[in-house]
Amino acid sequence: MSNREETQLLSPSLLGRLERMELVSRKVFRGRMKGERKSKRKGQSVEFHDFRNYVPGDDLRLIDWNLYARLDQLFLKLFQEEEDLHFYALIDASESMNFGSPTKLHVAKQLAAALGYVGLCRADRVSVQVLGPMGRHAPALRGRASLWKMLNYLDGIESGQNVSLYEGVKDFSLRNSGTGVAVLITDLMDKDGYESALRMLIGRRMDIFIMHVLSPEEIDPPIRGDRRLIDAEDGDSSEITLNNYALQKYKETVSSFIGSIKTFCAKRSITYLPVRTETPVETIVTKYLRERGVVR
Amino acid sequence: MNYAFSNPLAWIVLGLVPVGIVLLYFLKLKREPVEVPSTYLWSKTIEDLHVNSLLQRLRRNLLLLLQLLTVFIAMIALFDPWDTGVSSEQDRTVFLLDNSASMQTIDTGQSTTRFENAKRLILARIEEMTDSDEAMLLTFSDRPETVQAFTSDRSRLRKSLAGVSVTNHSTDILGALKAADGLANPRRSSDIADVKDVQVADPKPADLLIFSDGGFQTVTEFNLGNLKPEYIAMGSSDVQNLAITAFSTERNTERPAEVQAFATIENFGSDTVSTTATLTMNGQFLDAEAVEIVGGEQIGLSFAIETEDAASLSLTLEHEDDLAIDNIAYTGLTPMRNVSIVVITPGNTPLKVGLETEKTAQICSATFFSPSYLNTDDYKKRAADGIDDLIIYDTCSPDEMPATNTFFIGALPPTNVVETAASESGSDTTPSEGAAETVTDTEDSSTTENAKAVEKDWKWASPPSAVNLIDIERTHPLMRYLELFSLLIFSGRGIEGPPGTVELVGADVGSILSIAPRDGYQDMVLGFEIISRNDAGDAETNTNWYAERSWPVFLLNVLRYLAGAADATGAPSYRPGETVRVRLENAITSPQVTRIGGSSIDVTPGPGGSLEIIETGVPGNYRVEDQSKLADLFAINLFDPRESSIATVKEIEVGYESVSSEDGSVEQRPDFWRWALIAMLGLIATEWWVYSRRVA
Repeated sequence: MSNREETQLLSPSLLGRLERMELVSRKVFRGRMKGERKSKRKGQSVEFHDFRNYVPGDDLRLIDWNLYARLDQLFLKLFQEEEDLHFYALIDASESMNFGSPTKLHVAKQLAAALGYVGLCRADRVSVQVLGPMGRHAPALRGRASLWKMLNYLDGIESGQNVSLYEGVKDFSLRNSGTGVAVLITDLMDKDGYESALRMLIGRRMDIFIMHVLSPEEIDPPIRGDRRLIDAEDGDSSEITLNNYALQKYKETVSSFIGSIKTFCAKRSITYLPVRTETPVETIVTKYLRERGVVR
Repeated sequence: MNYAFSNPLAWIVLGLVPVGIVLLYFLKLKREPVEVPSTYLWSKTIEDLHVNSLLQRLRRNLLLLLQLLTVFIAMIALFDPWDTGVSSEQDRTVFLLDNSASMQTIDTGQSTTRFENAKRLILARIEEMTDSDEAMLLTFSDRPETVQAFTSDRSRLRKSLAGVSVTNHSTDILGALKAADGLANPRRSSDIADVKDVQVADPKPADLLIFSDGGFQTVTEFNLGNLKPEYIAMGSSDVQNLAITAFSTERNTERPAEVQAFATIENFGSDTVSTTATLTMNGQFLDAEAVEIVGGEQIGLSFAIETEDAASLSLTLEHEDDLAIDNIAYTGLTPMRNVSIVVITPGNTPLKVGLETEKTAQICSATFFSPSYLNTDDYKKRAADGIDDLIIYDTCSPDEMPATNTFFIGALPPTNVVETAASESGSDTTPSEGAAETVTDTEDSSTTENAKAVEKDWKWASPPSAVNLIDIERTHPLMRYLELFSLLIFSGRGIEGPPGTVELVGADVGSILSIAPRDGYQDMVLGFEIISRNDAGDAETNTNWYAERSWPVFLLNVLRYLAGAADATGAPSYRPGETVRVRLENAITSPQVTRIGGSSIDVTPGPGGSLEIIETGVPGNYRVEDQSKLADLFAINLFDPRESSIATVKEIEVGYESVSSEDGSVEQRPDFWRWALIAMLGLIATEWWVYSRRVA
């Protein structure tokens, strides 16, 4: 099953291309372990960072003896420390994500898997989590060999984790105190609003990416006539006569909704990435995300 | 005429219908459930839509629009707002419906009569009436009839209209106009110069809708006043009608068995028509004649028939034209009458025997009185009423001539101056003597007035002497079969009658038997007595006539032709609807009147044997019978060229106004909207069904 899911989520050609990518963080975070990423800390990498005067107690091994020979002063040669990156992929698995063909959840899993694999290949600490109770059991992964664990976890994600965005993010924030890159893959269809959830993430000083997954059916609904719309999550129903005018109004609402998210995100340095489910995940990752600086 | 549109309530109800449809439409709307990821965005849209949701729902909703359109069409059709052609400012209408005979015409291309068409038009007008409109229905033929007085109750008008039927009568519109006039133009109550005087009633202007073919006399002596006339001409001017306008029979006075029937046939159409006129007698074919009549012309026909008995004749034109009633005509030959005679005689056995023979007894019932009866009230009443067919005065004379035919034997009828002369002379002589004296007196009179009076009266032309007969008027019916030259007359006097006197028997002393007309009656005077009195007062014969064979024959002739037992003319013809008065013998107490081929009519004879028959609406031969014995005959025929002239008049003159015919085409507009509405409803039902299936 895992093989099947693996091929479903990530094709071998995509895996090959992902191996050459790396996640980009606009912020440099302090990692916990030595990794392949520059750190704010000076350390023992091969990459020179700065000089400073010697003070007693410094490691003598770091004194630049060549400089001492020329200047007769003791300077310490500082190198850039390379650390790992904490990468969190948060998947909204509410019932509303189980919509479209392919479903938004499936696309979300694919994106999470792709980005997670990029992180794993770069020795980042990758944690792919679903919002809600199931997220508590998400493994923290590191190393390319953990791909299968990650995919297994993703396979186990079913829709119906109907927690609100805020509750899910709050739960995640409480469990993960560290900073890092958080990619929230969601449709943002929360009647309580998405703002409080995003604020919670910002409060954690994380580099936040919002991957807003929408199916074409949501953007341009193919339904017409007198309908009773039933909410897939809470069973709420709304009666509407769908004519061109109403659809136009709906489209305007969607556009306005997306616009408000963009504005919200822009004000808070959150990268907003709209994703349409009909676009192949390869295209999204290798072209779309690269263009937007999520990966390189 | 106001329409329902003028009623605001009607508009409100009308306006509620589409609103109701819209409400029902949304209340009963079946919505297909659809699962969406979230109603989060939808609810935002719905909130926006709710602001103008009703308009949005109505927008582009073809089904609803179709329904509303259908209902709108239906409402428009029902209200018929464009029907302004018959509208009027008045809210009162008088429907004048012609139900004369000519309205029975079925015009070319029509399947119903003009009357039925007119009724349909009136019904359409009634249907268009609003609650505030009032209408009145009058029919007119030769008499007006108020079928329904002014009412706004349409159902009563409809019922009244359904009850009227066409008649065979002629047309006279004046009475109907007067009836309508009485309501529209109230007269002033008293002095027009008195400013305090008020009219008894407000004038009520009304539309006067005349549904007729215009076949009536121009009415000039009538002022329309507040009546606004409108003439709706029924029928067309292109007609085909052949009519019998006259049909009668006449017995040959000399040979009563020979009967001549005369008919006039007129072509009221424009084309020449060839047809056959068939004569039947008592239902049996008798004769036929081919006729060809040029349009607008008339011809006369005559048939010779031989019958002594009473007979019912009918003449039929074998031609189908627009008006059928005038294609058949009826007439009858009256039977010998049973006459009632009174004989006033001091005693005259030959006369009595002669009036009681077997032959005379069949046609005569004679009553004998003495001369003293002349002074009784019974006689005076009898003479004034004229209930007897003949009074025979034998050697006596009444004070005044009775209202019937008379036969004076050996006496002269009284004169206008007889009483004056008698009173002046103070004579107590008997009337006969007085009469005789008067002649002498008047002869002596030198006054011009008396001379003029005398000229009108009977008088003796010679003193009494033996009489030798010289001449007999054999051609006169009274003298038929008589051979009188062997008579012996011992004493007689020549007589002179008033102008118009016909001498029946001439003698050497002058006229000895003469007959003269008097105000429609006939007086016959015989110049000699049959039985005379001698000085002792004993009866003695003055002639041998009573012993002759000619005596009973003469009496029979008197009964037949003077008493009127054998009427030489045919049965009278009356117009349909005319009241027929028949005078019957006193002997008939329970007469029955039947139309040949029809039902019997109940009648009750009045005093003096007169019978008034009112139910004469149907043309035909009518028989008056007494216990299966024919007593009289009469015929009912249209015989009205005005009715037979069925070409519709385009313009009539009422009062001082000429009224042109209006086109009644408004009511004749076919109601296509019903089919359009049904089609629309079908379309909507189909669409609803398809829609429901699609949604389900």
